[in-house]
Amino acid sequence: MKSFVTSTAFALLASTAMADTITLYTSQPNADAQRTVGAFMAANPGTEVDWVRDGTTKLMTRLRAEIEAGNPQPDVLLIADTVTLEGMAQEGLLTAYQSPEAVDYYAALHSAEGYYHSTKLITTGVVYNTGVETAPTSWKDLSDPSIKGQIAMASPLYSGAALIHLATLTGDETLGWEYYENLAANEARAQGGNGGTFKAVASGEKPYGMVVDFLAIRNKADGSPIDFVFPEEGVSYVTEPVAIMSSAKNVEGAEKFVDFLLSSEGQELVLDMGYIPARDGMGVPEGFPAREDIKLMAFDPAEALANAEANKAKFAELFGAE
Amino acid sequence: MMNVAQQNGGSRSEARLLSAILIVAICLTLAPVLRLFVEGVTDQGSPSLTLMRDVLAQPSTLSALKHSLVTAGVGTLVSLVLGAAFAFLVALTDLRAKAALVFCLMIPMMIPPQITALSWTQIMGPSSVLLKTLGIAPPLGAPQPLYSPEGIIFLLGIQHMSIIFLTLRAGLRSIPQDVVEAARISGAKGLRTWWQVVMPLTFPSLAAGTAITFVTALGNFGIPAMLGIPAGYATLPTLVYQKLAGMGTTVLAEVSVLAMLIGVVAVAGILLQRLCQSRQKLHLVGSTSRPLALPLGAARLPVEILLWAVVFAILVLPMFGLLATSLVPAYGVTLRFDTVTFASWYEVLFRQPVTSRAFANSFGLAAGASVALVMICLPLAWLMERRKTRLARLFDSLLDLPYALPGVVLSIAMILLLIKLPFTEATLYGTIWIIFLAYLARFFAVMFRPVQASLKQFNPAMDEAAQSVGASLYRRLRDVIFPLSAPAAAAGAILVFLTAFNELTVSALLWSSGTETLGVVIFNLDDSGETGMASALAMTIVIVVVVLMALIQLFSRRFPKGVVPWQT
Repeated sequence: MKSFVTSTAFALLASTAMADTITLYTSQPNADAQRTVGAFMAANPGTEVDWVRDGTTKLMTRLRAEIEAGNPQPDVLLIADTVTLEGMAQEGLLTAYQSPEAVDYYAALHSAEGYYHSTKLITTGVVYNTGVETAPTSWKDLSDPSIKGQIAMASPLYSGAALIHLATLTGDETLGWEYYENLAANEARAQGGNGGTFKAVASGEKPYGMVVDFLAIRNKADGSPIDFVFPEEGVSYVTEPVAIMSSAKNVEGAEKFVDFLLSSEGQELVLDMGYIPARDGMGVPEGFPAREDIKLMAFDPAEALANAEANKAKFAELFGAE
Repeated sequence: MMNVAQQNGGSRSEARLLSAILIVAICLTLAPVLRLFVEGVTDQGSPSLTLMRDVLAQPSTLSALKHSLVTAGVGTLVSLVLGAAFAFLVALTDLRAKAALVFCLMIPMMIPPQITALSWTQIMGPSSVLLKTLGIAPPLGAPQPLYSPEGIIFLLGIQHMSIIFLTLRAGLRSIPQDVVEAARISGAKGLRTWWQVVMPLTFPSLAAGTAITFVTALGNFGIPAMLGIPAGYATLPTLVYQKLAGMGTTVLAEVSVLAMLIGVVAVAGILLQRLCQSRQKLHLVGSTSRPLALPLGAARLPVEILLWAVVFAILVLPMFGLLATSLVPAYGVTLRFDTVTFASWYEVLFRQPVTSRAFANSFGLAAGASVALVMICLPLAWLMERRKTRLARLFDSLLDLPYALPGVVLSIAMILLLIKLPFTEATLYGTIWIIFLAYLARFFAVMFRPVQASLKQFNPAMDEAAQSVGASLYRRLRDVIFPLSAPAAAAGAILVFLTAFNELTVSALLWSSGTETLGVVIFNLDDSGETGMASALAMTIVIVVVVLMALIQLFSRRFPKGVVPWQT
């Protein structure tokens, strides 16, 4: 029995190591992940991609468990934020790769050693249901007592983008932790990821919220009764970086995948799916203001990494489940 | 003395086979539970209760325990009221179209709880596409009423009313008509017959059904996860899930304690059930010649209309909600002829590779578990019936445990047991085998009990006759035992298949890349905001399950008696 089990386990290991398959862990929405993978496979016939989608935090938990069990599955990660990947790079879990496509990107959008490359710009702004009386224009509007109990937001304990958002806003001198304290006092609901937040706003259950841009703008175009605002103070942003695991079984395929995402073809796809591409000179999708008109709030990745656990703990205390 | 020696000599192969299968069965069902217990009471290898004390002292543990007890307890009451009303009316009166009613009442049990929750949230609150289309949606900012303890209680009540209905109906059918007639001749009328004659006789089965319902509601994950997590209302199973999903295997020891806590409450429920079942033996009057059919008279039509209206409200209405949500282009859009789109259906069924993968996984796991369990349970039940060794009797009293314990508990136990296989470097964590083994453990009792019951009625003379003409053990199993217990095994296999096909609680913690089950895919789609796609897939699964059940029902006349589990 034991030898049977062992051999089965090894057979499974062997099958995942097949040369022309790569395994991708991603936090992109399912439909986008499928389009990205489909376009990559069309451009690179012969390389298959198996992919798994989950929230960044849950995905990382799963990956940690797999690493502990000695069998990490993915070759490539395409997740919300650079902070998580910076941490993994420091632990030696990532492989450096200098993609030839990287020359067309701002240096700040990839790690100098090539551990990860940003693929798009996803900002978090204010969303509201078009049925409300007054439209919010700033972050501060969400802490206004007149809309008490009507605000939804993603939880940093679940979503990578929400954790960055928290680090950005609390790091801002006009907002700071006081802003989050006011949100908590205003009974803002922080549960789950951006998907749930969007749903709550679109359904009118919580008519105001903080959500990632593409989800709101894309669904608005499909007829959802919502609108998206780039607040006065500016927006926080994540860059959905891609990285290759140091335990990757198919490094060559993984590098091809990175090159494809960064290529102008891959970035056209990003634009077409309704995201702001990270590559220079690509323009913005319909429904977005010009890129130079989008005010990005200051954000320090190193500090965010150092404070991640403390931020989560403080947030949990403020918004904590009862 | 002579007799004993002969029996031992004649069936040495039986003894060996019994020990072999018993060891496999114990490894499957009891080893994980034992492993979990060890984890909870040790600290780095040495016995310690520190961890247990710490976890039990956390406020989140206590509030989750309270929430679990409240939702499961009150939910059971809701099931009791609904299920008992239906059971009394269907079993005791002259209602028409009983078979159709019974079939419809079975469906809620076969629909996975996360789909129940998803469909009900679609027809309630300001988000309701259906209410919006009808123009009666609540105002903006009105909370979704189901994201609350009351919502969880209500849906748990509906989900499990079939359990009460089935157990109580079985009990009612064994009341002989003579008893009621005797009461009538002595002058008892209408409700008094019911209260003084029928009620006391059915109390044991009612109590047993209540205990099973409570334990099942306590372990339910789909409903509190879909409704409680958005409201920040955690029950013990969702607390375990959130901890494990958020922090990974580092908190395994901590969640083991939580899992044991759920286990303790569940075991208390089982013991209660045992107690009631032992009382039931004294009460049962034997099988009945003709079931009761009290005439309802003029009240028959109104009662029928009422019952069907309830069936419509709990079964058809939420399905409309699910359908409406799956047909709009974006969440919150009103369903009109010009807004109807099949984009969600197309995307989830034909473009997402995870869907076909999940169908294959769920189908393979469910079919594999059914077949494997038939192969283990049939010989085991027979050998245990023939040779009542002390180990066999002990196993008999404990084998319900993995089914009665909530799925989350079993999952944690399986991870602990299989994350590092003893004496090897290999792990089953992250492979489909861990889910498969967990399913075998979980559904063992579902297969074993009906087979055991059928073999108890079986006359050993036939087997002995075959033995006396020299039939080998294998031959007797194949030609005598298997055909005789086949209907019970088939009924068990159908139940195992339908339950495993829809399963979420176990696989939610055990899935990994490539081993997603259908339950996991729906849960994850909804979680990531793709409610349209989640609804479309949920509808597909409901259709598949109902078609499967209808096919079984349709062919039930050709099957031997006892194959269709919902026709007793």
